[in-house]
Amino acid sequence: MKIVVLFLLFVVSAKAQEEKGITLLTDRDLYISGETLLLKVFVPSSRYSGIISIDLINQSGKKITGIIKEIRNQQADGFIVLPDSLSSGYYLLRTSTSAINVLTIKEIYVSNRFIGLPLTNSGLRPAGILPVTEIPNAEIQVNGIEKQYKPGDKVKADLRLPGDLLGQVDGDLLLKIAEVIPDFKTSTFNLKTVGAKKQIVNHQGILIEGTVTELRSAKPFKNAVVYLSIPDSLPGFQYFITGDDGRFYFQIVNYFGKIPVVIQCHAKDESQLLKITLNDPDSLKWIIPRFETQPFPSGLRKRVERNTDAITFRKVFNQPEVTEQPSPVIKRDTYPFYGSPMKVVDPQLFIELPDFSDISRELLPGVKFRTYNRIPSLQILNMAMFNYFSDPPLVLFDGIPTQDLNMIKVLGSADIDKIEIIQNERFFGDLSFPGVLAIYSTKGDYSKIQESDNLIKLNLDVIQPQAILNYPVKQTETDPDFRQVLLWNPSVKPAQLIPIEFQTSDIQGTFKLTVCGKTKDGSDFYKEQIFEVN
Amino acid sequence: MANRILSIYFVVVCGLLLIPTLKAQENISNNWNTEKIRGTRLVPYPAANGDPYLTSKFLPGEIEFNDGVKIQDVGLRYSCYRDELIYFNKAISTQIVIDKVSLKSFSFIDENGAPRLFRKQYYDGFMSGFRFFEVLSDGGISLLVYRKVGLLLCDVYLDDSGKQKNMSYQKDYSYFFYSPKKGYTFVRISKSSLLSKFDKTDQILVKKILRKNRLTASDEISFVKAWNLIKENGIKINLNNN
Repeated sequence: MKIVVLFLLFVVSAKAQEEKGITLLTDRDLYISGETLLLKVFVPSSRYSGIISIDLINQSGKKITGIIKEIRNQQADGFIVLPDSLSSGYYLLRTSTSAINVLTIKEIYVSNRFIGLPLTNSGLRPAGILPVTEIPNAEIQVNGIEKQYKPGDKVKADLRLPGDLLGQVDGDLLLKIAEVIPDFKTSTFNLKTVGAKKQIVNHQGILIEGTVTELRSAKPFKNAVVYLSIPDSLPGFQYFITGDDGRFYFQIVNYFGKIPVVIQCHAKDESQLLKITLNDPDSLKWIIPRFETQPFPSGLRKRVERNTDAITFRKVFNQPEVTEQPSPVIKRDTYPFYGSPMKVVDPQLFIELPDFSDISRELLPGVKFRTYNRIPSLQILNMAMFNYFSDPPLVLFDGIPTQDLNMIKVLGSADIDKIEIIQNERFFGDLSFPGVLAIYSTKGDYSKIQESDNLIKLNLDVIQPQAILNYPVKQTETDPDFRQVLLWNPSVKPAQLIPIEFQTSDIQGTFKLTVCGKTKDGSDFYKEQIFEVN
Repeated sequence: MANRILSIYFVVVCGLLLIPTLKAQENISNNWNTEKIRGTRLVPYPAANGDPYLTSKFLPGEIEFNDGVKIQDVGLRYSCYRDELIYFNKAISTQIVIDKVSLKSFSFIDENGAPRLFRKQYYDGFMSGFRFFEVLSDGGISLLVYRKVGLLLCDVYLDDSGKQKNMSYQKDYSYFFYSPKKGYTFVRISKSSLLSKFDKTDQILVKKILRKNRLTASDEISFVKAWNLIKENGIKINLNNN
């Protein structure tokens, strides 16, 4: 009986841990379209390593934009550029991971830069929700912050963490100073996802899922070979062989920013026509909260108008709010997935040849590219056996597998940067390639590869690189400083005494210093201090 | 008693409920793993007396790639003749030579139940390049063996088909002490060669250890045992001695 009780206790405690949502913090509550929103998340448990999605959702639950971040040390920080085209209204910022079925949602208000607040002086706001409430930690001391400053003042202060808390702090702290609007505060709440959890958890990278179907019957197709290629100097490559359900999965790990991805599928019998369909990446099922009309506080319109002018000025004078840091250099491979080439030929070092038939004949010994009755064929010499492979080789154009020899046929010397040849049978997992011919074009843009039913080209947003808030370097009288966020440091190392240095901008109003963190037991703590600039 | 049955029943039911999820994850991760193995088809070696391979059959083992990814339970066979690792891909029934450039190490349990670990290391001596060395004893100074088999001239013999041949696969193993600082120091499998790696004063201690443990250091097993005992006793090897 004791075992049963212990087991139940374990299950209940694990469940409780799982139910705890992610802490989501933003630099402000009010934004103007075109501005950059800064955010930080704290994840409740070390079990949730991997990646996290933070999406901007409109009132009908549609994802407008979003980012993907790596959770490191149970934390992540990033930024979202709010599109200029956003109409004025409340929006929801939603965090989700495939491991946690509790969504953390924070409401923000975005005012359109060209239209401003609605004339009704009210907006539809989430209602009937239970906001997450936190109690400030009274033991954290902020010293040296005055009640009032003048624009352009340089401020030095410090933050003191009590010894008890310091020993409990898990990871870094967030320290921010941003403008706040009195009587206007948005809330954060948790919602549960609806329906079954995903079968595959994207712990390590971005998950791409889809289905291969037969074009005519639209039935799932078994044993289709799906290739995923990432064009690069050393192209990325993965494959998946579909099962009865025709589904495929790929995981993109250690890529940052925006990357080109090509996904294509092929049947062993080339006469079978296939169609590839990708799953909607935003397939989360959740119940969107009810929205109710609520009036704006009295001073909001004036602040929005002033902030609109400020952001317009910053845009006109090219003062970006953040600077993206270069993506970490990750050495993924030391040689191409298709093997180290046995021969590398640069056709431009030779006399110019008009098409690939001539190039193969003159420059590529062991490569037989012929056209009979307008149908091109390609064979490669097997150096191990000293005969030609009967099957066509793997042909790559800018790192992307292609079976379109008509596209290759028209390539002349001027179009080709280099050709890499492998003249033996190569294996990649369970795939076998009777020789490899890799053509790299001078443009390197793989534009000649055409999208079709069985080939999809994507520009995929993968893990967002780190960014830092821009601070004015040199101030001149003619160069006003319209920063609403005076300090944003999402990675402050916990210490007993943390120095704070910042400079007030030319924006006059109420500002709030906030320090937030997470303790080892998974609970959050914070401290706030308000001051005026005028 | 009833409580005990109830608790066992409860744990079994929970376990059974977990199996499908784990199984699905495992299948997909297996699929992703196989993609890592790259290589070329094995071209059969010339037929001759002797064995070009270390083991008579494929044995399940583990490979580790340069990026730290490990794949377990792969049918492996090391070719001493070509210094290459061959694996048997069950899905396509093919013997594949794994790209040496992609590998960091591999290990397997041999037919006698002994664990065998091979590590890819750069050899800067004659015929320099990356080689698979078997690690006989690991540590600050490792004892390594390069298990080379050559196709060499021999006395004329008749093969199974009655053809006359004068070449056979012959072992030509090389043993080294290796330290990252000093590099490779060649050593023969003999007591005198082992002793030569120690200073005069330490040689007496080494001899004493060998005598006490009845080790001759004249074969590989005895040599490895002797070296491990020397290490345990903290006797310092001098790799400058030749």
